[in-house]
Amino acid sequence: MRCGVTAERAPLRPTRDPRVTLDDLVEVLLNKGAVLHLDLIVAVADIPLIGVNVRAVVAGMETMLEYGMMRQWDEDTRAWAERSVRRRGLDLREGESVVCRMSGGHLLAEGIYTGWRPGTVHLTDQRLVVVRDEPREVLWQADLDAVRAARLEPERTVGGEERLRLRVALADGGEALLSAQEPEKLHARLTDACAGRLDTPFPFRPAVEEEPLHEGHLWFHEPRRGGPLWRGGQGRLTAAGLVWKAPVDSRPALVVPMADIAGVERSAGYGPAGEGTVFVVRTTDGGEATLAADDPAAWTERLAAARPAMGTG
Amino acid sequence: MSERDALYVYALLPDRAGAADGVTGIDGLPLRLLSVPGTGLAALVHDAPATPYQGGDEQVRRWVDEQSRAVTLVWERTGGLLPTTFNVLVAGHAPDTGTDGDADTADGAGTAEQRLTAWVTEQAPKINEQLAALDGRCELRVEITLDRTALSADDTGADAADAAAVRSAGLRRLLAKQQEQQSRQAAERLADALHAGLRGRLLSVADDLRDRGRTHRAPQETDVLCAALLVRKDEIDAVGTLLSELQAEQPAVRIRFLGPWPPYSFAETPETARV
Repeated sequence: MRCGVTAERAPLRPTRDPRVTLDDLVEVLLNKGAVLHLDLIVAVADIPLIGVNVRAVVAGMETMLEYGMMRQWDEDTRAWAERSVRRRGLDLREGESVVCRMSGGHLLAEGIYTGWRPGTVHLTDQRLVVVRDEPREVLWQADLDAVRAARLEPERTVGGEERLRLRVALADGGEALLSAQEPEKLHARLTDACAGRLDTPFPFRPAVEEEPLHEGHLWFHEPRRGGPLWRGGQGRLTAAGLVWKAPVDSRPALVVPMADIAGVERSAGYGPAGEGTVFVVRTTDGGEATLAADDPAAWTERLAAARPAMGTG
Repeated sequence: MSERDALYVYALLPDRAGAADGVTGIDGLPLRLLSVPGTGLAALVHDAPATPYQGGDEQVRRWVDEQSRAVTLVWERTGGLLPTTFNVLVAGHAPDTGTDGDADTADGAGTAEQRLTAWVTEQAPKINEQLAALDGRCELRVEITLDRTALSADDTGADAADAAAVRSAGLRRLLAKQQEQQSRQAAERLADALHAGLRGRLLSVADDLRDRGRTHRAPQETDVLCAALLVRKDEIDAVGTLLSELQAEQPAVRIRFLGPWPPYSFAETPETARV
């Protein structure tokens, strides 16, 4: 945390230039704003009425769908996607046959768009292919000969759920991360299809994921201009520090590095989890974060244990 | 029924005479205020056929542009309004069709004007309450990313181990991949910390903040924060100052700062929640 920026800086000015903001306005106007009584109106931002690319503009829709946000849109869009899937299969090579296929996606990390691109995962006896349904495009593919390793790995979604992803390592040193409706099945079939050719040890270092010292549901009394607000979310204490994230936020609203934790104490009074559930984490810069948990003792004990030098109240 | 028996609704707003004078909306159609007697409210509308607008991408973008320009102009005149989404159309309703025994006047028969007037009358206390909460406030959009190519070695903790010194091309690619992965992970951790700090600072200035999806992102960028802020109009510069401070503290940060707009992201009527 940095504070005490003394130099007076010229404020950035927001822009309303439509050449810059039109995509954002499209997203906002198709998705946001007052909605009248539903029985009263003919249409509200009815997705199927809108052109394909405008829909793609609607930002991060795939991600939002995956994370279960915009539930209203999910059904329409999924139904539309499923119709598209039925219409379009994979163009098979001569003598190639499909082993299995399921909805899924490919994590694009190097193109013009970084993020999950949904489509259909096809495993054939020759290839592993992810095809976008509409407009139709092969998003990613690899010949089975080139697949060196495949591994399921858990990924924590924004909503706090764990989902299994299929990581595939290729002979050229490349790798890909795929999502699939039935990741275990895809992994098993892929392993079978590559019969004996897969290296057993995965050649890449696994993602560095700190072992949690404690984690679970946690309330954060988030300071706001109009007064603090209790918000529910997921807390996670690791050797690196304390992190709290709400399911609706894209990233944590609270990150306290272990070195910045000066103390932790239980606080009297009521929190959203009841009486005596509130505790306060003090930071070395004089700040504090007020939290509440069903198991406040476990949190304070583990915070104290993780940082033995600090005082407990 | 006539060809134009529906109302395309742009916004609900305090009834101020002349607020829509000379304002045109979608396809250049003139807008008017439909006053709702006894409520102090009006709806900003144009007369339309009872079919949703649909068309290709460019067409939709043009309509959205026209709608947002019209709403913004009227918003600046009145100081506050509840903007509606695209394609909100109220149609007239013949007495015999679709009856479900609902005594609710809003669902009842009548011309589009009668139905909209009845609904606004019924919802007036809530609409007025929300207009009061949004009065003098605007929406700002803040999008922050980290340009991984501009992060220093300090930021990423990158290994100085030189991939170029390795002879095998395959191994070199492997090392490069690993370094890319490390830099991504470091950027993720930095983004988390930046997000928590910035969110806290923004919330000390803004009345509300909603996470939003993003419309722009370059491949070498990691998302930090993408949010719609509800901000008093005289606090726009305070947000701008926070952002310029952030830019000075972390040069790898890329900032998009859009607005001020009518409070689209904060205009849910109580009916929205019911859905």
